[in-house]
Amino acid sequence: MWKSKLFMIGASMLVLLVLICATSGLWIKWSPTTSSLRSRLIAPDWFGNGGLSGHPFGTDPLGRDVLTRLLQGGWVSLKITFMVTIIAMTLGAIVGLVSGYFGGIIDMIVMRISDMLLAIPQLLLAIVVVSVLGPSMFNLVFTLSATSWVATARLVRSVVLNMKHQEFISASRVLGAPTSRIILKELFPNTITQMMIAASGHFGGTILVETNLSYLGMGVPIPNPSWGNLISDGRQYIAAAPWVVIAPGIALMLTVLGFNFLGDGIRDVFDPKNQD
Amino acid sequence: MRSILRRMLFSIIVLIGVTIIAFGLLRIGHGDPARMMAGGMASADEVEEYRVRMGLNQPLVMQYLTYMKGILHGDLGFSWNYNAPVGDILGVRILQTLRLAGFGLLWAFSFSIILGIVAGINQGTGIDFAAILFAIIGQSMSIVWLGFMLILIFGVTLGWLPTQGMGGFKHMIMPGLCIGFGVASKQTRLMRSGMVDVLREDFVVATRARGISKNKTYFKYALKNALLPIATNMGSELGHMLAGMVVVENIFNWPGMGQLLIQAISMRDYQLVQSVLLVTAIMLVLGNLAADIAYTIIDPRIKFN
Repeated sequence: MWKSKLFMIGASMLVLLVLICATSGLWIKWSPTTSSLRSRLIAPDWFGNGGLSGHPFGTDPLGRDVLTRLLQGGWVSLKITFMVTIIAMTLGAIVGLVSGYFGGIIDMIVMRISDMLLAIPQLLLAIVVVSVLGPSMFNLVFTLSATSWVATARLVRSVVLNMKHQEFISASRVLGAPTSRIILKELFPNTITQMMIAASGHFGGTILVETNLSYLGMGVPIPNPSWGNLISDGRQYIAAAPWVVIAPGIALMLTVLGFNFLGDGIRDVFDPKNQD
Repeated sequence: MRSILRRMLFSIIVLIGVTIIAFGLLRIGHGDPARMMAGGMASADEVEEYRVRMGLNQPLVMQYLTYMKGILHGDLGFSWNYNAPVGDILGVRILQTLRLAGFGLLWAFSFSIILGIVAGINQGTGIDFAAILFAIIGQSMSIVWLGFMLILIFGVTLGWLPTQGMGGFKHMIMPGLCIGFGVASKQTRLMRSGMVDVLREDFVVATRARGISKNKTYFKYALKNALLPIATNMGSELGHMLAGMVVVENIFNWPGMGQLLIQAISMRDYQLVQSVLLVTAIMLVLGNLAADIAYTIIDPRIKFN
């Protein structure tokens, strides 16, 4: 895996990003949430005015330092994305394994339910759920997980369906292996590769949906920063102070780019049939 | 033919499921539409009056069945907020959203087909590099950010295009560009790799060996094979676009269904929200169905599954 250039680029981008965002509390002096109307909409001074004690990326309409909110917001978005991906993919894998292996009526019911969930675009469903439950971090993670587990379930199910009839499975059954062992020790490990590739896509997709939700005011509750919140903060002043909107967008693009490179790198290594 | 009918039957079941999900979701959390309509100062009796008038005092199953019976008669419900039948409100909005979506799909597919083909034929050149760059960056960008960057560049700095609302064709350019960007980048990548794959096939070498010119080989024989996935993709991309619509309509103040949904949900306008979700699901399902049917028509080797 280390040989793939794409993977290394993506991985290093992400590691750098996570480190900077996670440790930002230690070396940034400004508070991400305290407003100061005296310092509204200051233009970026690019480390000129005393380095980090100035405003390298400027300030937003409420006088909060953009770089601080950018990094803190990034950390919040990354944490949410990470949790959602773990929960959704775990749930999806369990459902996919069970549904694929047992087949029959369980499979049919699961497939119909997943079709119904897929018939409503994720963002729309998420908007309705968050509006109904109320804005909070927990509800956000819950909503994003609940609306994205289906893709993983389908992926795992299709892998299981392909493997189900192969000889090594029947061999295990003949030898008396209990169903749980077959699922966990034989079927599941063969899905891991596909799941890893899917995970990188899931990360990227989730962070984009979370940004959209936060922009609409239905994601990370204000005044907590999130890249989506930052964009909506800067919306009114885009003509006068474009840096408020530009900064989070670029950060987001680099993040998703990193995830995509990661996924492409993994695919290059494990799925050589798929050459782009 | 029988499998198409079976698919349609399943689609109807799925859509019924969607109505149940939409109906159920709205009634879970907090927010009482009767109280919202009555106003903050209303007494308990007045709220109760509203509740009876809005049909909210009926048992849940009754409410659902009433709604569904209406659907069968073509009645999508009544909006308390707008004080009008949902059908009337939705009709105009759907049109606007579809206009934008149609424009987006049109430019996105035209652009990506051409760029993908050229890139696939001229692998390794500058055009190819530009196409790949476009594909990668387009997939990684947030629509929200793209929308504002477009506004910043074309609206604010250059002053070429209007940034808000609806009007003539000029108003449709930026939101259309915005909504189609993701589709364009994804399809460029697919078209390019499809072309690359086809060009590697033996029959291409064989055709060239027989003396057929480069142009004729590519455009008459290779292209047809590479174009197959495109027709089918159009149907499924519609679904992704509908999600992006919510955001794009917000940014550019485009009066479509996405905007309607957000307004309706905050006012707990149950029937309006239910119907918007249902209509969206119908469009998505129809899009996928059309894509599947197109697939079997274009390539008769593929059995309809």
